[in-house]
Amino acid sequence: MQLINMLTWWQWAILAMAPPAIVLLYFLKLKRRPVEVPSTYLWRRSIEDLHVNTIWQRLRRNMLLFLQILILLLAMLAALRPGWRGVALSGDRFIFLIDNSASMRATDVEPSRLEEAKRQARLLIDQMDSGDVAMVVSFADTAKIEQMFTDSRRKLRAAVDAIRATDRPTSLVEALKVASGLANPGRTADDVYDVQVAEPLPATLLIFSDGRFADVSGFALGNLDAVYKPIGNPESVNLGITTFAVRRNEARPQQLQAFAQVRSFDRQPAEVSLELRLDGELINADRFELAAEESRGVSFDLGTPDSGVLQLTAVTGDDLAVDDVAWAVVNPPRRARVLLVTPGVEPLEYALSTSAALELADVSVETPAFLEQPAYRQPAATGVYDLVIYDRCRPKEMPQANTLFIGALPPAGDWKAEPQVVAPQIIDTDSAHPLMQWLDLGNVLIAEGTPLAGPLGGVTLIDSNIGPLFVVAPRDRYEDAALGFVFIAEGGGEGKEPGGYIGTNWPIRASFPLFALNVLEYLGGGRTSGAGEAIRPGQPVALDSPLPGKEVSVQTPAGETVRVRADSSGKANFSGTGQLGVYNVRIDGKVARHFAVNLFQASESDIRPVSGLRIGYVDIPAQTSQEAARRELWRILLVAGLAVLCVEWYTYNRRVAW
Amino acid sequence: MSTASTLLSPELLARLERLELVSRKIFRGRMKGERRSRRKGQSVEFADFRSYVHGDDLRFLDWNTYARLDRLFLKMFLEEEDLHFYALIDASKSMDFGEPTKLAYAKQLAAALGFVGLVRGDRVKIETLGPGGGDPPPVLRGRRSLWRMLEYLENVQPGGEAPLAQAVKSFCVRNSGKGIVVLISDLMDKSGYEAALRYLLAQEMDIYVIHLLSVAEIEPQLQGDLRLVDCEDGDVAEISVSGPLLKRYRETLAAFIHSARDFCTRRGIVYLAARNDLPVEQLITGYLNQRGLLR
Repeated sequence: MQLINMLTWWQWAILAMAPPAIVLLYFLKLKRRPVEVPSTYLWRRSIEDLHVNTIWQRLRRNMLLFLQILILLLAMLAALRPGWRGVALSGDRFIFLIDNSASMRATDVEPSRLEEAKRQARLLIDQMDSGDVAMVVSFADTAKIEQMFTDSRRKLRAAVDAIRATDRPTSLVEALKVASGLANPGRTADDVYDVQVAEPLPATLLIFSDGRFADVSGFALGNLDAVYKPIGNPESVNLGITTFAVRRNEARPQQLQAFAQVRSFDRQPAEVSLELRLDGELINADRFELAAEESRGVSFDLGTPDSGVLQLTAVTGDDLAVDDVAWAVVNPPRRARVLLVTPGVEPLEYALSTSAALELADVSVETPAFLEQPAYRQPAATGVYDLVIYDRCRPKEMPQANTLFIGALPPAGDWKAEPQVVAPQIIDTDSAHPLMQWLDLGNVLIAEGTPLAGPLGGVTLIDSNIGPLFVVAPRDRYEDAALGFVFIAEGGGEGKEPGGYIGTNWPIRASFPLFALNVLEYLGGGRTSGAGEAIRPGQPVALDSPLPGKEVSVQTPAGETVRVRADSSGKANFSGTGQLGVYNVRIDGKVARHFAVNLFQASESDIRPVSGLRIGYVDIPAQTSQEAARRELWRILLVAGLAVLCVEWYTYNRRVAW
Repeated sequence: MSTASTLLSPELLARLERLELVSRKIFRGRMKGERRSRRKGQSVEFADFRSYVHGDDLRFLDWNTYARLDRLFLKMFLEEEDLHFYALIDASKSMDFGEPTKLAYAKQLAAALGFVGLVRGDRVKIETLGPGGGDPPPVLRGRRSLWRMLEYLENVQPGGEAPLAQAVKSFCVRNSGKGIVVLISDLMDKSGYEAALRYLLAQEMDIYVIHLLSVAEIEPQLQGDLRLVDCEDGDVAEISVSGPLLKRYRETLAAFIHSARDFCTRRGIVYLAARNDLPVEQLITGYLNQRGLLR
């Protein structure tokens, strides 16, 4: 309690004379009006009764005096301006930005960081003066307005209470854009003059966060006065799984390998034990010590599981639990849909119908006339096929699929072919490329070859003395490959026998069926979809549907079922990936595949609160201690004085009227 | 008549003529009157027989009985006597308050009761308690004494500071006769009214107490800080009128009335509280009739 003297000594002297004056007036008032009565007999007995009553009766007789002195004392106290150090909210417009990202689930402050942030926000809301308006925004990777500007503290408190923790990473940018909408209204330059479209409303931005997000660049705070309230204990400890993926074993492609990375965000060495479960059953475990701030990769051999859900758990006992579990999925291989359009190429048809090839793909063979029919055009345009092989023919438009052109050029793109050359010699193959793995083309002879030049980004897979004969190049999300020679040449050409002839001896070499399998695996996408990709919380997922417009249902880790309808390209876009865990995709009631949503965000796992934010070119230091301010009492005292005055008036009237 | 009209209106007089004073006790009168006495005597109403003893009045012998039984019996008749009626008016200064003043009210009441007594041939005596000295009150009898009674009442002035008990004692000493006594007073004597009533009780009189209070006493209209001066002894009470004080006063008054009523009832005294805003006619024809003083 502090007092500030607001009056000079002579003013105090005048004020000090007031109470004795009141008392004096009461004594003067005792000069009573004489009234003659028949007898004082009853009066005296009444007075005696009152006299013998408690001292309270005596006090009651002087109630007015006491009340008047009380009013005066309250006024004097108010003149002393009593106050104390309190927490102040300066300004009259506030924006509460409350971080509800995954790192705010940390329990280094009881009960959790988010609850602590909400508690601090509620405290400040309680201290808002009447007439102040505030807005509540929660943010993770996106921002959500929980409550628009209002002066109702009840609504604000309810909005703060309604904020729930998420598993998402953090980004302040969107929240800042939301917040600055009113404070920094846009300017229009449509006219010759630069016109401000609205009156800017400056506001105080209160950011409740651990600050674990990238510095915001390219944003000007403008009329926003940002205050950063760091939430969390700087001594908090956390270990997190930052990567967990299933990959094909480099040495043995049939086998799958799980790879994980564990990172420590602790200043002390810590022991970690990892448990790996496949479909709930413990299949592997590891235990090691992590030095301070160390990150270590771990790999587990999985064998050859067809499908399953892998769960990696780090038993750590740290402050943040959400990053101690990671999931990965192994989806059953899907047979690729392959279309072979050819006037007739027996060797390739044989190679694509081996039992190994049938495991990988479902191949249908059509003649070039099929290209003109709607039965081709519609599936090709909607991406029903995974791979289309054009043998000595070309479509008018490129299909929504990977393609392999044999003896022809893709109609789109910057493909070029040089004049045909007789008997080219293969001089090199790119055996590192999946299409060319394990192929020995040294014993392959080619009758006629056309040197090719692919578009930008194309890779030459077979090089010859006359130029590239096999080129693969990307096109949007697909890849096109073109072979500069044919397996069966057309007959009836210039100086050639009618009916066609063999264009190369490759089909009778051992490498040919392998090549066919490589094509199916790589361009057909046969095995590549076996290991599920890592998806971040909130990231949309494109799910394959067997037919365009078909409904796909997704079961979230919480057990809810969400139905998504596939679009015309056969992709169903699912965006409800807010929760961490494994999602089951069902098509026609059967589980078609899984996908896992993992945090894998070092910035979320590193839960030590930062000491300051940087927004644009402004550094915002952490404001751990509340801004000290004087909480004044004199208004309350004056109101109390007024209340006492009312009581005094009432008492006086009671005495006079009754 | 002009004098009478101030105390008794002709209408009231007409109504009073039909009433008579009733005593719950049968007293021995001084003169023959209209009331039955316990004493046997001369009247037309037969009471009893008794044996003749020497010296009895031969006029009352029952000759018919003597003829049949050959023994002398004396016929006894109920004696009819007059009734002594006393009205005691408290004429202290405290009675000189109210609108009309309590004293005026008391005079009116005494005049009315006295008139009833006079009409019925009772012996009526109206005494004022208070001012000492002066002419002793006349003893009145018969309708023609009405004017004397009224004249006497007109001349009663408030004053005197003798305590009630003293005045009553003096009355009792001077009047030994039994009869009906009506005390009209506000009973506000600081030394207490109980002693005064005890004196009357000792006389074995049929006592009526009319406790007369003014409206200003029952519902005081006072405000502010006052110095109350007692008109009789100059006693001063300083009060600050407040709700609680007035409440307290009303409680005290109620207790005062209650204790007086209680005191009287216990001792066979008829108590009647009256207020000066109640018309005398109503009091007499209504309340006193109910209480049995008048019939």
